[in-house]
Amino acid sequence: MQFKTVLKKELLMHMRNYSLIWIPIVFIVLSIMDPITTYYLPIILEQVGGMPEGAVFTIPEIPPVDAFMLSLSELSMFGVLIVILLTLSTISGERKTGVLELILVKPVKTGNYLGAKWLAKIIIFTSALGLGLLLSWYYVTILFGEISFLYTLLAICFYAFWFVFVISVTMVFASLVRTQILGFGLTVLTLTSLSIINGLFHHKMPWFYNNLSSLIGQMLTQEQISSDLIINLVLLFGTSLLLLAVSVYLFDKKEKL
Amino acid sequence: MTLLISELSKTFGQKQAVNHLSFELAKGQTVALLGPNGAGKTTTLRMISGLIKPTSGNIRFDNIKNDEDLRQHIGYLPQYPQFHGWMTGREFLIYVGELSYLSKKEACTRADELLVKTGISEAKNKRISAYSGGMRQRLGIAQAMIHSPKFLLLDEPVSSLDPVGRRDILNLLEELKEETTILFSTHILSDAEEVCDSLIVMNEGRIVEQGTLDSLRDTYQRQVIDLHFKPSAIDIKKALATIEGVTSIHEQKGHLLLEVTHVDVVKADILRRTLSEEWPLDYFSVNKTSLEEMFMEVIERDAI
Repeated sequence: MQFKTVLKKELLMHMRNYSLIWIPIVFIVLSIMDPITTYYLPIILEQVGGMPEGAVFTIPEIPPVDAFMLSLSELSMFGVLIVILLTLSTISGERKTGVLELILVKPVKTGNYLGAKWLAKIIIFTSALGLGLLLSWYYVTILFGEISFLYTLLAICFYAFWFVFVISVTMVFASLVRTQILGFGLTVLTLTSLSIINGLFHHKMPWFYNNLSSLIGQMLTQEQISSDLIINLVLLFGTSLLLLAVSVYLFDKKEKL
Repeated sequence: MTLLISELSKTFGQKQAVNHLSFELAKGQTVALLGPNGAGKTTTLRMISGLIKPTSGNIRFDNIKNDEDLRQHIGYLPQYPQFHGWMTGREFLIYVGELSYLSKKEACTRADELLVKTGISEAKNKRISAYSGGMRQRLGIAQAMIHSPKFLLLDEPVSSLDPVGRRDILNLLEELKEETTILFSTHILSDAEEVCDSLIVMNEGRIVEQGTLDSLRDTYQRQVIDLHFKPSAIDIKKALATIEGVTSIHEQKGHLLLEVTHVDVVKADILRRTLSEEWPLDYFSVNKTSLEEMFMEVIERDAI
């Protein structure tokens, strides 16, 4: 009941401040930009003056799956930054403006309050992600060649787990620190450290958090789901739930000012 | 139902904001928490509302189990209430109503009722970002009352308002007294005098005086005889000092203010001598010292 109330209010806010419109648009642009510009690169080069005479430049043939993966890497950069900033602003923002004071003097359970915010962000961002990647799939099939639609859908669903994870990490830091900029720094630092660990050890731990996109790439090429991917998804989702619990604990422990 | 505060303390780093505070708030009372800025009023209210945890001491209700969420019974208005500006006043009230376990229908009914009571029903479908300071304060009171709490805590509810807004809120409080128990903080004595029946005076985190308005008046109020004479050769001040019962004489803007023990005796004495010795008296009145003076006296005594 309380959970539903906060969730409804969060979604209403996204509608009122137009983020329900601009987030999907940004995600769509991010997703389709790379496949399209890659495809039209020869034409673009031609238009801006062409190659110098005698230069030989052959643009390699790009397999459709690689073209689709370009969208994922774009989203994992800029998409994730948007996710972190907006997630932080719903918690640190409310704390900073003082609205939180009026909410916390009501008999609100922290789990409901944070859980609803968590779910609201997941709904907004994963649907934007889905829209963006579906359009990317559409352009990739037209421009580069077929990719299995079924596996594309699976890829989108699986990639959403990464966003759930990012949202959960952000929630922890939003509960831990008061200022948005510090929360942002800590979240980015954490994700970057995880990515470095992944870079160093992914051959030993192919199921590690940040390896998700390369596992998804493999799945699309081989058209089968590897056990590493399953382990990775379970790990991501389990850790996300744990992080949500941690953020509830931290939020309660901290003085509710 | 009584709110029991015992040995409540709060330290922020080195600073002891509230220092072993104990008092009781019985049902139906309207009590003002009075004190200069920095006396610990806001900290006390925030501890009772559950926003911050006391360093030591406890807050409870006499007939409620300890594990129950006290917030269900408390309504709180911070000094500068902030809202979601993108919501309308009515939406916000329904939102906090539902957070307080009212059903959607109950929340709507209660919200409309309070919008009328606080006098902002015309603006109920406007975004809160367009509300004026006075309207925000009314909405703040409405949100504090939404779940019909047994205790209403108001932090400086009128301090930031203009005289008209102040008047309106004080009238509103007068009405709310019928419904609920009110504890409100203020540093303005006249506001407290107008609405409440008892006072708790705080200074530097401690209670320095408390009691009903009447009992405080009895203790602190003294009668003062205010006299004014036309210029003359007689040293009246000296003559007055010899009258029995006069404890002190102050001169203020040409008036002589006499603090006395027995007004009637001294009054008769002065009037008799005015006639017999032909004092050029042209103004005579018997006044009471104001509670404002009591307030200053209590704070100053505490500072020593």
